[in-house]
Amino acid sequence: MSYLTTLRTLCLTVIVMLMSLAIADDDPRHERHELMEGVGKAAKPIGEMFKGELDYDADVVMASLQTWHNASLRVGNLFPPGTETGMDTEAAPAIWEDRAGFEEALANFRAAVEAAIEANPMTLEDAKPTVGPVFQTCKGCHDTYRIEK
Amino acid sequence: MSRAARFVVGGLAAGILAAWWITEPRPITPADLPDHLPDPSAGEQVFWVGGCASCHASPVDGKRAKGSNKLLLGGGLELETPYGIFRVPNISPDNDAGIGDWSMVQFVNAMQRGISPDKRHYYPSFPYTSYAKMPVADVMDLRAYLDTLPSVAGKTGAHSLGFPWSIRRGIGAWKWRYLDAGPVVHFETPDTLVERGRTLVEGAGHCGECHTQRDRFGGMVARSWLAGAPNLDGPGRIPNITPGGKNIADWSAGDIAYYLESGFTPEYDTVGGPMVAVQENLAMLPQSDRAAIAAYLKAIAPIKD
Repeated sequence: MSYLTTLRTLCLTVIVMLMSLAIADDDPRHERHELMEGVGKAAKPIGEMFKGELDYDADVVMASLQTWHNASLRVGNLFPPGTETGMDTEAAPAIWEDRAGFEEALANFRAAVEAAIEANPMTLEDAKPTVGPVFQTCKGCHDTYRIEK
Repeated sequence: MSRAARFVVGGLAAGILAAWWITEPRPITPADLPDHLPDPSAGEQVFWVGGCASCHASPVDGKRAKGSNKLLLGGGLELETPYGIFRVPNISPDNDAGIGDWSMVQFVNAMQRGISPDKRHYYPSFPYTSYAKMPVADVMDLRAYLDTLPSVAGKTGAHSLGFPWSIRRGIGAWKWRYLDAGPVVHFETPDTLVERGRTLVEGAGHCGECHTQRDRFGGMVARSWLAGAPNLDGPGRIPNITPGGKNIADWSAGDIAYYLESGFTPEYDTVGGPMVAVQENLAMLPQSDRAAIAAYLKAIAPIKD
């Protein structure tokens, strides 16, 4: 094989790799996975505050609430037809079979987040009854619309 | 008859007699019951540990019962397993369809010996292999609690199983091999919290039934205790919950107890699959019991995935 052919093969390989990365990045299955990971990461410090492992920090709580709010506005668009399976998705068929129920579960999440932002809790005692319900909406939606792998 | 033929016939007869003896149901008698006044409120705790409702509550519109519907134990759920379809019976206090007319000793025999009031073996899809390890007083308390629940009318259908599983008498041999009232795990240094956890996990909680690998006859493999298994009732695997499994090796005892209380993992993912119902039941227990379960799970031998 000549030097030029090798270079061409190499370039092509790199281009194909980049393209497949771009496709994966663009895929709603990828985006919703990343979004949900972010939602979980935002929950972690609040959970640790609830458990008494971290001191209460109103700024951290508000930042997490904003992350959740952004996610609640975006996530409903990330389950288009054709993304029911593949890429190790944990989305349950129920999302497509019962769209109205799924939208309602997402609306519950958003409403709980907005109520918590409105309450703007400054202490742990204020946060438990206002931010706590958001956690229940995570669980409520996952129970029906996510499958365990 | 030649001497050899007599030997063969004699051996066969002895074998049949032994098989008959082994497979004979052996119930306890009323005299075997401890002197214990059954307490329905203690029994309610046993009810949630055991997750009776997860199988016995009648499904609502084809879905798992929630809220107060968990107390309507009319049965009717169908468990599709590699052995065939098991149909979960009515255990409400209804006299005709349920177990309202059972005596205490009949109830204890069902729970701990796997024997019906008409002296037949139950299939171990009803996890009496685990319930056999419960304190008898807890079983009696549970009965007292079940008596307080609403009656539900309607008997459920019979199981549909393939040969040889369809022969009930054969379960006697299975029990001879697998039914043991003693604990699974023995600890060198006794610890009250860990032992409470053992009672909950190995007994009423029947955690091993899903989390432990089964052999080809459907008995739990003791050396794989709680090390994970294929899901018999759906896709995927049931995780390894020993300290050696990748699933919860990094979790502290506090993380485990919090997960059982709230349904959130230390990474703030939520509980999923068949564990949702289990977690919601365990959330009904006192905090000390969840701590005991966690202490036990941290104390048992680690098994690698």
